[in-house]
Amino acid sequence: MEMIERYIYAVTQKLPPEQRQDIAEELRSLIEDMLEERTEGRKITDIDVEQVLIELGNPRHLAQKYRGTKKYLIGPEIYDSYMMVLKIVLISVAAALSIGFIIQIIMDPISILDHFVEFIVSFVTAIPTAFGWTTFGFAIGEYAGGFNSKNLQIDKEWNPSKLAPIPDEKRQIKRYEPIAGIVFYTLLIMVLAISNEYFGIWVYDDEFSGVIPFLNEETYGTYLFILILGFGIIKECLKLVYGKWTFKLVIFTALTNLVSLIAVVIMINGPEFWNPEFMLQLTQAGLLSEGSETYETVSRIWEQSTFWIVIVLVIGLIWDAIDGFIKIRKSK
Amino acid sequence: MSDANEQIDKLMQELRRGTITIGVLSQLSEPQYGYSLVSLLGEKGVDVEPGTLYPLLRRLEKQGLLDSKWDTKEARPRKYYLLSSTGKEVYEQLCVEWRDIVSSLNHLIDEKGGKGNGDD
Repeated sequence: MEMIERYIYAVTQKLPPEQRQDIAEELRSLIEDMLEERTEGRKITDIDVEQVLIELGNPRHLAQKYRGTKKYLIGPEIYDSYMMVLKIVLISVAAALSIGFIIQIIMDPISILDHFVEFIVSFVTAIPTAFGWTTFGFAIGEYAGGFNSKNLQIDKEWNPSKLAPIPDEKRQIKRYEPIAGIVFYTLLIMVLAISNEYFGIWVYDDEFSGVIPFLNEETYGTYLFILILGFGIIKECLKLVYGKWTFKLVIFTALTNLVSLIAVVIMINGPEFWNPEFMLQLTQAGLLSEGSETYETVSRIWEQSTFWIVIVLVIGLIWDAIDGFIKIRKSK
Repeated sequence: MSDANEQIDKLMQELRRGTITIGVLSQLSEPQYGYSLVSLLGEKGVDVEPGTLYPLLRRLEKQGLLDSKWDTKEARPRKYYLLSSTGKEVYEQLCVEWRDIVSSLNHLIDEKGGKGNGDD
């Protein structure tokens, strides 16, 4: 009898919680009916139970029939674009890693073994990360698109006059745009993630002798930056899925932009996002001497850079949203 | 030959899937529970796997074609299904549609058969 409970559990645990109990009870009484029919009053053996359960079939299939619809993260409609983008992303990640590796060897050929190990490690971590972000972006697209197809089904009274006009040139999103965007963001993420110590001013003293980093390596600022770029990728994926500027798409991009903006504000206000010893290190590297006119200028630029970067980011993100609205308007 | 059999199996499965619903609706002017319906249909020559029928009953209920009620008076609680008023209407219409399909397909098959025989 325990086998029956195990069977019922195997079926119901794959069902939505609110249906579980009722289906379990019904299934139990049905199995007992089947057992009764089979044994005709004699004692029920394990073999009887087994045969009845075999008749009902694999619990996974039964659960699937109870659920009715198949569930998926990325459906057949966007599968092709998903695969295409995935390939692009994975190739660009691999390329970025390899380029980083080569740069490191050129600059520091002695510890080539260390770099190689680092290269392998980052390969193992970065490829799944890229895979994850891409899939995440498309899963959101699928979710949004899924609502769309449902709406279409409800719309029963269809006639040719209801056909949507072919989106005009200005409203269409050329495929290469989001793809280029995705590649760009991915490369930036890679560069930041693997070699943020090279993101700064390169000091040459006859030969390469080090980098004065822009960012504070000890805080999480870089991760927030990567997060923002991740949102950028999601946005590009949405564009690719929609293929044209629609009101919904503009809303979605505006929302991702808003989240990015919040992240930017947190990032800039957070503790020491920038390298706190930037100016000091510049002086130490002999590039500047304290008190000179250049020093003052660089110092001023450095101190105001945060402000200006925020301004540029904010304008960029807002413009991105406005641009979308304009593109919708133009076609009307 | 086994290839043909495989194809026939597949096509028959598809064909049956559509007709089972009509079969089920036809038997539910009286309340039935899952297993009694399997036996009832079986007796009348329509073999349905329990694993297919039970989820189908629930789905039809969800679509509003069937009403259900738990009967807890007997030793074993059972869930009984019965045609709802929508279900009755749907079933009647389905019967009309079914007869149409049968007659037009019969017409097609006979026409083909007649021609074939003529050529022989």
